[in-house]
Amino acid sequence: MEPIKVLIVDDEVEFLETVVKRLRKRNLDATGVTSGEAALDQLAKSPVDVVVLDVKMRGISGLETLREIKRKHHPVEVIMLTGHASMEAAMQGMALGAFDYLMKPAQIDELVGKIEDARRTLTLAEKRHELGPRAVSNS
Amino acid sequence: MPSIKDWLQNVGLRKKEEALSGDAVEALRTTFQTRYHSFKLLLNANNKALEIMAELEEARSGNKPFGMFFVNARCTAACVSVYRAVEILNELAPEKYSALYESFRSIESKIGEIIRFAWRPTGSEPRVVPLRSLDITQSNLAGNKLANLGEIHKRLGIPVPNGFAISSRAFQEFMGGDLQVEIDRLMQSSSPEEMDEVFLLSTRIQQQIRVTKVPEELEKEIFAAYGELKAGEGEGLRVAMRSSAVGEDSSRTSCAGLYHSELNVGGDNLIRAFKEVIASKYRPEAIMYRINRGIRDEDVDMCVGCMSMVNAAAGGVVYTRSPVEGSDGRIFIHSTYGLPKAVVDGSVESDTWVVARSPLRIEERHFGQKREKIVCDAEEGIRQKKVPEKDRLLPSIAEATVLKLAATAIRIEEHYGCAQDVEWAVDEKGEIVILQCRPLRLPGAVELHMRQPAKAPASSILAAGGVTASPGAACGPVFVLRKDSEILSFPKGAVLVVKQALPRWATLLARASALIAEQGSAAGHLANLAREFSVPAIVGLEGAIDRLEPGRLVTVDADGGCVCAGRIEALLAGREKSRQLMEGSPVLDALNRAMERITPLNLLDPQAPEFSPSSCRTLHDITRFCHEKAVLEMFSFGKDHHFSEKSSKQLMCDGVSMQWWVLNLDDGFKEEVAGKFVTLENIASIPMLALWEGITAVPWAGPPALEPGSLVAIMLESARDPAMEPSLPSPYKNRNFFMISKNFCSLASRFGYHLSGIEALVSERANENYVNFSFQGGAAMYDRRVRRVQLVVSILDEFGFHSEIRGDSVTARAEGEDEEAMIQKLTVLGYLLIHTRQLDIAMTHDAICAEWKQKLLTDISTVLLPKFQDRAAHI
Repeated sequence: MEPIKVLIVDDEVEFLETVVKRLRKRNLDATGVTSGEAALDQLAKSPVDVVVLDVKMRGISGLETLREIKRKHHPVEVIMLTGHASMEAAMQGMALGAFDYLMKPAQIDELVGKIEDARRTLTLAEKRHELGPRAVSNS
Repeated sequence: MPSIKDWLQNVGLRKKEEALSGDAVEALRTTFQTRYHSFKLLLNANNKALEIMAELEEARSGNKPFGMFFVNARCTAACVSVYRAVEILNELAPEKYSALYESFRSIESKIGEIIRFAWRPTGSEPRVVPLRSLDITQSNLAGNKLANLGEIHKRLGIPVPNGFAISSRAFQEFMGGDLQVEIDRLMQSSSPEEMDEVFLLSTRIQQQIRVTKVPEELEKEIFAAYGELKAGEGEGLRVAMRSSAVGEDSSRTSCAGLYHSELNVGGDNLIRAFKEVIASKYRPEAIMYRINRGIRDEDVDMCVGCMSMVNAAAGGVVYTRSPVEGSDGRIFIHSTYGLPKAVVDGSVESDTWVVARSPLRIEERHFGQKREKIVCDAEEGIRQKKVPEKDRLLPSIAEATVLKLAATAIRIEEHYGCAQDVEWAVDEKGEIVILQCRPLRLPGAVELHMRQPAKAPASSILAAGGVTASPGAACGPVFVLRKDSEILSFPKGAVLVVKQALPRWATLLARASALIAEQGSAAGHLANLAREFSVPAIVGLEGAIDRLEPGRLVTVDADGGCVCAGRIEALLAGREKSRQLMEGSPVLDALNRAMERITPLNLLDPQAPEFSPSSCRTLHDITRFCHEKAVLEMFSFGKDHHFSEKSSKQLMCDGVSMQWWVLNLDDGFKEEVAGKFVTLENIASIPMLALWEGITAVPWAGPPALEPGSLVAIMLESARDPAMEPSLPSPYKNRNFFMISKNFCSLASRFGYHLSGIEALVSERANENYVNFSFQGGAAMYDRRVRRVQLVVSILDEFGFHSEIRGDSVTARAEGEDEEAMIQKLTVLGYLLIHTRQLDIAMTHDAICAEWKQKLLTDISTVLLPKFQDRAAHI
């Protein structure tokens, strides 16, 4: 199976680089950008499977970035990752369609597990989309 | 609920028997895979929520301090997990459970309000706080270190230096605006992979801090407090400026040696020393430490303690346990002449004393070569001074002092409920002063609940181990609950002993004195409830059922993790309820109020009409609801989806084609096959193979002999229902359809006049494992069909199934056991499937029922079960 493509978005450069390195060690195809704007540019050029997105960033915020991703219908799953537990931001993120909302410091095992789950969800959605109206309904 | 007839008509028996197209089969597979994936995600979200509830409960009832940061983070995480569960359930069954969203929002908004209100800083916190007025509830204001010192002084009357804390508000004012912006800029523009880059960054930031002016108001307050201190302590006052960081969870981290303290500081150097301590937040090791843990720089506030300097004649540290060998509970004291810094830094060979507890006595003493000591310089600062030769090998402190230190440290340990690392000094008058105390980092994993040493006499212990799910001790007669039917006979005050900690035993908790479960975790539903009801509970205690004789009086020591014979007063009497450290604090109050919306479980009975979204009052209610409904939705796959022979493969067994058809939903075959048939050897589905083992274990002896008149009865019954008439062409032929993946199996089976459905999920993850079984019908008269169903249920009961009878139909369920146990259950089901067909014809009297039960159970125990014992023996 192809390695999972992950885009990490975080304006804390040191943290970003540490996470990218660790994910690569787990054989994920991970890249990092330091802003929401850069993330949107990147997604337009080369799609990924999963985005791991910081909430508090300078420039456009994590939530704004998430909103744009969903608005543009990029076929990705987004996992929010934040050092600040804010109930409001978390609920907003979930309502906007985030796959999950994790708090730093996140165990790398937990993060990888979530990324794998997110990719599986994406793969199945793509399959259903391909099958289109021929898909059997649940009822 | 679709009627059994509707369901029957759907089971692959369309009149025209069309094949599903290739695409439709693919679509069916995708639907299954999606549902299965969603089901597992939901279980994960639920489990996460339950773990968090356990954590919150632990914090609430424990002795470890916590701050708003913890409460906020956990409540947010719990809400996110529960929201995920609600979302996924609605994906599994669109439109059916949308009311849950409203229930969730109502609960979440109340929790959010509680958290927001407590979290909001009032802006009126003091900049400077007297040390002796602090306690543990103020760690957000003064940092953990200083809050701890204030706490032991206030609550235990232990001597600590006089002084004041320069608070987190002061820190934020100092950093606020330009300084923080500049630091952020410096941090962004570096790449801390190279160590020398980190050093460079650190130097730049620390320098920046040193040259920044302290705000005027703050400086005034610092000097005012210093002046007051001087008035009390005397003109020659020197102070120690100590770091005390906020925003780090000290129960899990060790910040030992990360930051700077400055000793023996005079009034003129107060501000310089203050800035030096703050600058130490950006030491290279501190920067790396935060990076590695993903802690945001701006989440760490550096408070500074300004404390009267103790001109120590001797000093050192006390560990209330061996820091190397955590199980050694003796007190370890290290001491030397002069300031304790020499011991803390490890720069001097110190004296070591090992003190045993109860009674307190010195067991070992080693005197180090104390060549030098650290002393306060006459002016400011500290310096090393040579120790006279004659004194080097003499003990640095008297034995009476050793014992006093041990006793003091034990008091601190008892207060916090965990091992302590205590820094101390003996002043010129010979009085002990405590300078610092913090949790001692012990080797090995940190347990959810600190296991207390078992106080029971070893000879009386019947079973020991497991995990403390709910603290306390209790006494009562053992009651081993194996089957649902035994619930009604559970006596009040008994000790409930079960294999699995299933939520449906919850109704018994109010009457139980204690709970023991062989399986399960401290984060499960039942464990949460045991804590709520304050019922002492141990889970994961393997072999408990074998070792605890029903009816025997036992004492359960949940803290010590053991069950003892008889009534042991020492365990039961005088159990002091641990004082809640955070009593009276706004943080604890916020936690309590938030938890009212999180942990209580109101939805107990899935069959009750109140088991509905509108009755959910707490997050726990929602998780319970989601769990039950997810199982229902997942395991109606067979009912909702169907296919015919032409879309599937016919099963071939030993070269013979069987009346069984198999559809591979995912990874149910070892290898893909072309053509019409699939051999049994090619089946990879664990549950299907288990069922098949039972189906083929004992050849069916054919229908029971009809008694005179039975045939007429059957014909009469058939006449009432034309579809049942054997001579008419009927869509109801014998049909058995498997839909499988490696871990999933759905069997729709029809033999003659009766119909059954089995759905199962079996994997190595016990908490995901389920078997659902439904059964109905028959050719005989109604009362005989009812007897047959009762027969089936009584056998299933023996094997741990939970069943419900409605007239002549039954649904039964088993869940949450390990793979081997589930396989065994499925094998029994497979056997029953075959050997109870047409048995209704014979069920003329209850006595015949009992005979057949005996016969079937004998078959099971002599043919089926030995295979499992053989397998176990070969492992």
